[in-house]
Amino acid sequence: MTEQDKPVSEPEESAPEGAADETPQVEAPASARPARRAPPHEEEAPPEVLNSRGQTTLGLLMRIADPYVLAHGGRDDIPWIETRAQSLIEVARRCRDHRDLDLKMLHCLLVVDYTEHLQAVYVLLSPVKGTRAILKVNVPADEPKVPSLTGLWRAADWYEREMHELFGMEFEGHPNLSPLILYEGFEGYPGLKSFPFNDYNEF
Amino acid sequence: MTTHPELETVDMMLNMGPQHPSTHGVFRMVLWIDGERIVDMEPHIGYLHRGSEKLCEGESYGQVVTLFDRLDYVSNFNNEQVFCRAVERLMDIEVPERAMYIRTILCELNRVASHLLFLGTYALDAGAMTPVLYAFRERERIQNLYEAVSGARMMHNFIRIGGIKEEVPADFVPRVRQLLGELRRGVEECDNLLTFNEVFLARTRGVGVIDSDTAVSYGLTGPCLRASGLAYDVRKDHPYEIYPNVSFTVPVGEYGDCWDRYWVRVQEAYQSLNIVEQCLDQMTEGPIMPQMRRIARPPKGEVYVHGENPRGDIGVYLVSDGTDKPYRLKVRPPSYCNLTALRHMMKDAFIADAVVILGSLDIVLGEVDR
Repeated sequence: MTEQDKPVSEPEESAPEGAADETPQVEAPASARPARRAPPHEEEAPPEVLNSRGQTTLGLLMRIADPYVLAHGGRDDIPWIETRAQSLIEVARRCRDHRDLDLKMLHCLLVVDYTEHLQAVYVLLSPVKGTRAILKVNVPADEPKVPSLTGLWRAADWYEREMHELFGMEFEGHPNLSPLILYEGFEGYPGLKSFPFNDYNEF
Repeated sequence: MTTHPELETVDMMLNMGPQHPSTHGVFRMVLWIDGERIVDMEPHIGYLHRGSEKLCEGESYGQVVTLFDRLDYVSNFNNEQVFCRAVERLMDIEVPERAMYIRTILCELNRVASHLLFLGTYALDAGAMTPVLYAFRERERIQNLYEAVSGARMMHNFIRIGGIKEEVPADFVPRVRQLLGELRRGVEECDNLLTFNEVFLARTRGVGVIDSDTAVSYGLTGPCLRASGLAYDVRKDHPYEIYPNVSFTVPVGEYGDCWDRYWVRVQEAYQSLNIVEQCLDQMTEGPIMPQMRRIARPPKGEVYVHGENPRGDIGVYLVSDGTDKPYRLKVRPPSYCNLTALRHMMKDAFIADAVVILGSLDIVLGEVDR
């Protein structure tokens, strides 16, 4: 592994060397095999910085959602704010209806499983003004429940159905949380880290 | 024939797909019809679900590129590019200029190939047999170039984190120039054959209309949104890579009907050819990969990157925990979002128009189901 971590100057020449170094690892017995995930990078992560456009967007977001904001940050021109589940609809509505933010499109909705808690991430975008922003909501893993945004965006319908199916996230107020992409009778929530998926035995 | 008002009528349920040829893959919809009118419809997806997002969590960053090839399998380069951009942003890698130009040339040609495929199959959906032969002939020229460049006609795995896999063949520039001339003639031929054809106009004008506010609410992007009159294009609104250096216009439709969606795509194909030509003029010699570790291991953090796919706005939300595998990777598939508006477009349409409306969305099921 240390060979591979060195900066590569001439990929064509060093490629066979790297391949030769890897062979003993492959032949090692299964018990001696290293952990499936490689150790984290030692380098310090560069701080996430917002550019001037992002700062402006964040300033507007903070002004309209100030009492509800738990944390904030961002990268480039996409700021994010974290709110509580019960204030999500109010914050989202203000983002959508604000004249300068104009976040009229729910661009993406995803759930990230951090094992002790789940995080719902809403990416909002303005097709006219070009502003982008992210809303985050943390919910406990044993009771994942957020209000549904189907009343604000029609796009939320399928996004929420999919996330309910894959992560077991409960979207309160969604008209129809029936399964969408998994086959009938599927049990469990395959998106979660606890779902055994990558630990299959190769044969 | 006499009518009997006392007789009770019920809506007829009609199942379409998943093996129906006009569904462009394995897509099933259930239509409730009252005579010739569609009262309601329900789309069923998931026949092609492979769990790509979850699979990504078990692969190293370099391997994930191959999974992105298999999402939208008719615009592979565009998919690879958006994922690589996300990792590059997280790792703060400067992509060499030459690599960016080659990426853009390949992506824009991929857009033309994808739109040609749409043009051919859409004409088939609308009942015209001939254009598909012309469109596939032109698309074949692009596929041949891809074969020369990457060795594969579909699953290229050519764009790498930080740059591209290898230098393009020595005759790449003259070959693309020749290809541009052929494609200009070819696209124009298809365009002349179909666009203002009277029967085609009768089938598509005023069918499946969606206004821009509703389109935004449904999250439509790409040609489907631009057909409704909103000039939103990621390449213009959030320029990435070398798009600030090239000039092109964003074609915009007027009514948001099927014909507008078709017309926007044809015009986009011309614009893409112009972009490729400018890229060839501006491209210089230089390195194609930066100095970087061979195994990509982005620092802890998360990033959202999106780019313009032939079908719309593809987004990647990447969460890294500092290891060599993504902690969570979410793809925002444009076809999936465009498909949500299908029900709205089909309400009160004629049953004969169902296929025309579905075809105008230009979905790829590999991306819808993931």
